[in-house]
Amino acid sequence: MAKLKTRDGVKEHKVVSEKEWVKARKQLLVKEKKFSKLRDELNKQRRALPWVKIEKEYVFEGPDGKETLADLFGDKSQLLAYHFMFGPGWGDGCPHCSFWADHYDSVTRHIGARDATLVVISRAPLKEIKPFKRRMGWQFKWVSSNGTDFNFDLNASFTPEQIKNGTAIYNYAPLDMDIDEREGASAFYKDSKGDVYHTYSTYARGIDLLNTTYNFIDLTARGRDENPEQSQDWVRYHDEYKR
Amino acid sequence: MAQIKKRDGVKKHKVVSQKEWLAARIKLLKEEKELTRLSDKVARRRQELPWLRINKKYQFETEEGTVSLADLFRGRSQILMYHFMFGPDYSAGCPACSSIADGFNGFAIHLANHDVMLWAVSRAPFAKLQAYKRRMGWSFPWASSFNSDFNSDLGVYFTEKQQLKGGVEYNYRREPVAIANRALEGKETGKWRKGGDDAGEGPVSEMAARCGTDAATYIRERPGMSAFVLEGGVVYHAYSTFSRGLDGLWGMYQWLDRAPKGRNETGIWFRRRDEYSKDGSKDCCSV
Repeated sequence: MAKLKTRDGVKEHKVVSEKEWVKARKQLLVKEKKFSKLRDELNKQRRALPWVKIEKEYVFEGPDGKETLADLFGDKSQLLAYHFMFGPGWGDGCPHCSFWADHYDSVTRHIGARDATLVVISRAPLKEIKPFKRRMGWQFKWVSSNGTDFNFDLNASFTPEQIKNGTAIYNYAPLDMDIDEREGASAFYKDSKGDVYHTYSTYARGIDLLNTTYNFIDLTARGRDENPEQSQDWVRYHDEYKR
Repeated sequence: MAQIKKRDGVKKHKVVSQKEWLAARIKLLKEEKELTRLSDKVARRRQELPWLRINKKYQFETEEGTVSLADLFRGRSQILMYHFMFGPDYSAGCPACSSIADGFNGFAIHLANHDVMLWAVSRAPFAKLQAYKRRMGWSFPWASSFNSDFNSDLGVYFTEKQQLKGGVEYNYRREPVAIANRALEGKETGKWRKGGDDAGEGPVSEMAARCGTDAATYIRERPGMSAFVLEGGVVYHAYSTFSRGLDGLWGMYQWLDRAPKGRNETGIWFRRRDEYSKDGSKDCCSV
């Protein structure tokens, strides 16, 4: 037996011979493969979802000036948007979204090679986004939806009335927090005529897989080992960690 | 109906009202939640796996000189090690591993602050790794296991003799000797298989050419991820995963899985980050 220190205390952990280890590992591999296949199947179902045509014109403000939703695609036919929690007057973006965003510069080019553009969208005005983006050293495109219905229509921002009346919808259910911004990711398609369709949105733990760090942590001996009361209390802005 | 252009042609896609869309989306959400819970369950099972005590004294070349496996923990109790395909005879690291590394380069600092030291380890000599790391602009620690049994013991390196005698056991199963024979004869070994167990790995000869080596040499190195624990001065091997087990660690695929066209691939489309134009649209310097 060996010892493993976790948040819940020190636990005994079984140590075995190589032969026994490989046997246990192979048993788990069967389950892991089942999971991979289920995920592939779910990805197929996701793409089979019908689309909704977007009739409203949204105009965003970004590094390239004012751009419509159709403009944000660039020369690609697919748009992936991350709804980054950064409301007007917040000063800084949400630390948890920042943790997620630390992954995005690594994928933008690869995704670009697959006919898709990744854009980060927040409701804070561009002049509030800019200094924070500079501080974090991110290169990805980050636009402001300030003054548009975009975030509200996509259920990533909520009006004071919605919060007061309890009519705010998040993750396809009534919002259970007293907050006006939440995180999520949405996908859009632009056809050859230039029509834009909303194909998919996901929220809350639906963006779990987009945070590759967690997929790494899930392979460790301690696992996520987080505070159940506040799971990401260990997360800081990347420039606030000691090197 | 709308149209969607994919690699295998143009297809019609259903367009509905917001209300109908929501009904379909909520149905899918139920299954997505089930998958998330299954993922949590598999992660728990992973943590329950017994450990294997490591008794061999491995040595690695690092920026701090020659160090032991225990030294790689750098004050943490856990290591996640990416087995990066970069053999001594490669002229550049594997493009698929490079794409995965683009991801962890950005978030290794979060892991380091959650008791996990992330390392990449390859068999190429340390100076070669350093030069490639500079080219790619990475900062994560990368150790060389040159001249040690480490990669072989972890199942991510196989000798030519193993290839010839059917002694290749990768991802917990024995590989047919025919695969090695074809590679040794310079023939194609891997077909692009959509979503198959080997997705992202073939065709081998193309990947080999991109690494400046031949197919047989190229597939002597394999990708993987291993987890180690340091406890009471003893290092334990907790976990290893290979092949498609690495899929969730490959950041770009998690995004593409949510795009209307999905992965939409029929061959190796990805390049090293400096081989794309800025928006990824063109191949600026393919082999």
